[in-house]
Amino acid sequence: MAATSHAHKEFGPAQYLAVWVGLLVLTALTVAVWKMHFSLGTRVTLALTIATFKAGLVALFFMHLWEHGGVTRLVMATSLLFLVLLIGLVLADNATRFQYANPPYSEPWSQVPYQQMAPPMQDQPPPLEAAPPQRRP
Amino acid sequence: MPTEAAATPQLAHHFPSLEAQEHAARMGMWLFLATEILLFTVLFTAYAVYRFLFPTGFEDASKFAHVALGATNTVVLITSSLTVALAIYYARQGESKKTVALLAVTIAFGAAFLVLKGFEYHDHFVEGQLPGRYYHFEGLSGPGVSMYFTLYFLMTGLHGLHVVVGMGVLTWVAVRAARGDFSRSYSTPVELGGLYWHLVDLIWIFLFPLFYLL
Repeated sequence: MAATSHAHKEFGPAQYLAVWVGLLVLTALTVAVWKMHFSLGTRVTLALTIATFKAGLVALFFMHLWEHGGVTRLVMATSLLFLVLLIGLVLADNATRFQYANPPYSEPWSQVPYQQMAPPMQDQPPPLEAAPPQRRP
Repeated sequence: MPTEAAATPQLAHHFPSLEAQEHAARMGMWLFLATEILLFTVLFTAYAVYRFLFPTGFEDASKFAHVALGATNTVVLITSSLTVALAIYYARQGESKKTVALLAVTIAFGAAFLVLKGFEYHDHFVEGQLPGRYYHFEGLSGPGVSMYFTLYFLMTGLHGLHVVVGMGVLTWVAVRAARGDFSRSYSTPVELGGLYWHLVDLIWIFLFPLFYLL
């Protein structure tokens, strides 16, 4: 462990103000993107990318990850890894399910109506099995 | 100037040096923040699943979010993060008065955030845009719509609770700073309290686009 972790240069008010301006610009950008009415996929991608950049600015500079590093970065990276694992695997589960296993009226494949997903009905019901012979009293 | 005795940190006997002690405190705070991130991760997962299952319902419902208020609150929290970062900087410089003033400004920003959030909640309550079976908004119905408002109130509510806790933590830090507990050689509580506040900002940075802009 570096005993002189504080010895190198620290960020001052000027740098913090610059980060703040960056965050304001990114906030304005994400609202501007929202007003442009892109397709849903584009909007989700852009909004989450911008939010990730903003979070990166806050974590690296305001939360001192840039200066300190070491084990704090490892803790942050680990929690992010589990965030990705949880959201990714749960979404993958829902996306690959047989549709009836998802809640009713959900629409991940909205172009396919329920009726078309259902297995075809048989023309005639299968014949009933012969009743087992009754035991005489 | 406060007395130097009050501002000198105590070295616990199980640490070899003050640097090691500060390092351990910071790592402990980060471990706590990791659990907070995972707490919200579960809720973000719920959002992702229902957004995936009910894309139309979520898109229609989010048209009733108050984007102007949400954007204002984003700016409020970002600015409060700046004032906390500056408070930590001045605490390290040993300028306690500036630290106290900046922390007070931060707490005021937190209060402003909650007031604006209160206006938003009030509007949703009046309209009947409420979670689960309490949803009775005439203007919009359909699968997934009430789930949007359930998650909206759950996630922004838990975040609002964190804002309240953060304001409490920063108040305690500000009182200690005003008392002269911190100096150039010891300002760990300011830094750790600030980390908590930054995490609150970090979570809002994701809540804002997810609930207002998508």
